[in-house]
Amino acid sequence: MFELDQRIAEQLTQVSLGSAVQVRVGTSNSFMVTASTILPLMQMFEMGGVYISASRGAVEIIQAFEAVGIDVSNIHFLDLVSSGVLGGTDVEYPNITFIDSPIMLESTLLRTLYVLRTVNSQRNFVFLDSVNALAIYNDDRMLAEYLHTFINTFRQREVLSVILNVPDQTPPLVLANLDTYCTDIVDRGQVVLM
Amino acid sequence: MEFLVRGALAGEACAHFTATEPSVKLLENIRQYAFFDMNMVDSGLINVFDMDVLYSWLGLDKASFDLDDVHALIKSIVDIVNTIGVTRLVIDSVTTLCYKIKSEQLIRDFLFTLGKKLATLGCTTILISEITSATENAHWSSFGVEEAIADGIIVMGDAERMGHLLRFLQVVKMRGTAHSRAKHAIELTPLGVMLIPMLKWGASSDKNSRWGQ
Repeated sequence: MFELDQRIAEQLTQVSLGSAVQVRVGTSNSFMVTASTILPLMQMFEMGGVYISASRGAVEIIQAFEAVGIDVSNIHFLDLVSSGVLGGTDVEYPNITFIDSPIMLESTLLRTLYVLRTVNSQRNFVFLDSVNALAIYNDDRMLAEYLHTFINTFRQREVLSVILNVPDQTPPLVLANLDTYCTDIVDRGQVVLM
Repeated sequence: MEFLVRGALAGEACAHFTATEPSVKLLENIRQYAFFDMNMVDSGLINVFDMDVLYSWLGLDKASFDLDDVHALIKSIVDIVNTIGVTRLVIDSVTTLCYKIKSEQLIRDFLFTLGKKLATLGCTTILISEITSATENAHWSSFGVEEAIADGIIVMGDAERMGHLLRFLQVVKMRGTAHSRAKHAIELTPLGVMLIPMLKWGASSDKNSRWGQ
């Protein structure tokens, strides 16, 4: 039985627009934590936003959300994965934009800014899923620079940024930067008992 | 084209001289963008001219232009600008136009005179200049002349990163204005061009940049 983590919703009541929330997940609880973060943002705070999917294709994520009863029609998805899959961009959802590759970091940022200019919601979030997926393709220093730009760009625009990562799959330099620049942390990273 | 659309939205008369593609094709392509409204063309705020048609009017059907031809061309462009009251002008491209002018001195004279006359009329002009791999040594323009005469240089090109091409824009020179000289990544959106500074660590493959593409 799928159960949401209610403590995340409580924690999110403490953050403001313009905050940058680092969400640490483990390899097995990633979707549960994602859903537990997205749901209160949409239902409690009535936010819309952009979901950057670098770990899985957007269709798969939309269907997973729909399966647990989350309506994502108010979210625009930027899919960084499916262009690399033959026929991956042939989908029916109008709320998906495809980016050629996870290395097109500037394009992703520009496309996010464009979508934010076109959405109707007054309050918006940008959900980055995930830093460790981007780390597969991008150099540590460039990724750290990107996240620094990402956080400051949305902070200035009063857009909440939520940055998902699996800490033990994220380069130390990048993780250290996230710790420095994020204003809040939701830590659900896997605990390994030795 | 967006430069002209923004001018038209402010009520300015604008003109576009096209030498690289037919005006019909140009308008067909630009129609896809939400910021463009065909009424701007219908109402005469944006005027698109085919250079081929202009050449025919002037009887310039020869392979290369001499001094008289160049002056006739300048006069006709200036007359059009003057008659319509154009304050924003685009010539796409001066490279195509200058290929018909065989002497570098004549090209310099053409661009300098054209620029001077248009500036006197209060018209801001964007001269599109192509930079191809064949003219790499020409620095910022095809003939190495345009860059010295122009008040500003905006370079557009592609930066290659791991087999993908990122569009970029860089303001190299803009007289009388404080500006960034960094490369900016650009995205052509339905709302118009959007840009952000390129990531510094992503520019390591700059030597592979394809200027003017």
